[in-house]
Amino acid sequence: MSAVFRRELRGYFLTPTGYLFLVVFLALSGLLFYLNNLLTRSSDLMPFFSMLSYVWMLLSPVLVVKLLAGERQSMTDQLLITSPLSSLAIVLGKFFAAAAVLLIYGALTLVYPLLVAAYSRIWLGEVFTAYLGFLLQGLAFVALDLMVTGFMKRSASAVAAALGVNLFVWLMGLLSVASFIPSAISRIIAFFSLYERFVPFLSAQLSFANALYFALYSAVMLAVAIAAMELRRVKTT
Amino acid sequence: MIQAEHITRRYGAFEAVKDLSFSVKIGEVAGLLGQNGAGKTTALHVLSGYLAPSKGTVKVNGIDLQNKPREAKRHIGYLPETIPLYPEMTPLEYLRFCCDIKAIHPQDREAHIQDIMALTDLSQVAHQSSGTLSKGYRQRLGLAQALCGGPEVLLLDEPTAGFDPVQSHAFRKLIRRLAKKHAVILSSHLLSEVQEVCDRILMISAGQLVLDRKAAQGSDKKPRFRLVVAASSALVLSPIRQLPSVRRVELVGKSSPEKTTLLIETTEGGAFQHALFRLLSGLSAPILELSPLGDTLEELFLRVSSDQMPKEGP
Repeated sequence: MSAVFRRELRGYFLTPTGYLFLVVFLALSGLLFYLNNLLTRSSDLMPFFSMLSYVWMLLSPVLVVKLLAGERQSMTDQLLITSPLSSLAIVLGKFFAAAAVLLIYGALTLVYPLLVAAYSRIWLGEVFTAYLGFLLQGLAFVALDLMVTGFMKRSASAVAAALGVNLFVWLMGLLSVASFIPSAISRIIAFFSLYERFVPFLSAQLSFANALYFALYSAVMLAVAIAAMELRRVKTT
Repeated sequence: MIQAEHITRRYGAFEAVKDLSFSVKIGEVAGLLGQNGAGKTTALHVLSGYLAPSKGTVKVNGIDLQNKPREAKRHIGYLPETIPLYPEMTPLEYLRFCCDIKAIHPQDREAHIQDIMALTDLSQVAHQSSGTLSKGYRQRLGLAQALCGGPEVLLLDEPTAGFDPVQSHAFRKLIRRLAKKHAVILSSHLLSEVQEVCDRILMISAGQLVLDRKAAQGSDKKPRFRLVVAASSALVLSPIRQLPSVRRVELVGKSSPEKTTLLIETTEGGAFQHALFRLLSGLSAPILELSPLGDTLEELFLRVSSDQMPKEGP
């Protein structure tokens, strides 16, 4: 697993695509900080984190696509699948590499709270829970996109499918509060909405239940990705 | 040693590989020969563990590939038709990665890689990006990754595809060297390559093993004929077997009342043909085709490519 992790992580920082992704993420996060905080002279970082989670939702498919669909398209998956590595080790190695990128990118955004702290007062607990929520939700999107792209063979269609699924998961949060939806269904939709689980973190609520939900959600998505990889070896169509 | 035991691989209703059985021992180079689309790559995918067989088992050094995949795959080195390279990595980085996924001990890794690079003549491009390597070097790097971990079984899918004659010759010499310590299965549609490199021919047509024999096996000079007759096998098979010059008769494919195809091995040709004409005339079974068969590899290849023939012993 560690060999796959190291290779993928290096790949993110050795290829032009990796740097392009980093530039896009930093440019968008910088723009959000400018619009939410600098332009309005506000020290409230929560709208920034809320919008940063949307940025990650949109960028995650691009980050994840090379991990499984990209390997299938370039047929380098043959190297991994015919090696003694298990499907579990392959998928986890790739997931942790994308997770490390999320952590590194998240760390780069620390510059914004530091800027606010230099000119105003920030409550560290609030920033910490917002970061925790952002990272947990980000990991859930990475796992979801890894699962979705694992079913696809072409990178372009994999990105489109993962983006579609991410938007659907995000829209579920909006649907859950729509007046025409019966309350029972609303509750079910809200249960599966990643955004709804993130909202308490933006209110400085360190919710163990929501953290556990994100962790379980990621685990289930990864389990499906592993099962899909195993099934592909035996499928006959 | 690698053993395929009745392996079948289906894609929906289509059987890409049908009931394939053979074994290849260390020291042996077996050429998997067949037309494009005959099922060579699917067979190698199943033998390497990339695909699971729909039926049957693959054993590597006695270890079942399905039941103990991690253990069995340690003994397999696979060079796919499309070389699985990461263009951003140098050959050295790539081979380190291959050693890592094959669980080579870190202390042994560098020496192991140096040995493989020397063997495959990659040292001079060790620090060059894989994406910029020539076709020949890419192929060598593909072989080098297959050698990582010192597997006893090497599966090489069209290893000299795209090579110029000089590169092909060097690559064949290398495979002959490797054969001393490995069981090698090499797929190709190049007869000359298989004849030069392989000890044994596994000819595959429409997913079926149609020939398994030694590569150097010459003609036994026994006249053989392919007979197509407009009658059922029930009518003609037994009387033909009783002709004095006939040594062996084998049915090819399925017989119908309108058409039966037979392969007939005889002690001598002329008397057999006379006797056969008289016999079939008496049975009112018109001959649609009677053709003598050669025994060179090229003739065998052309024959099985146009039709299927039953297995011969090695």
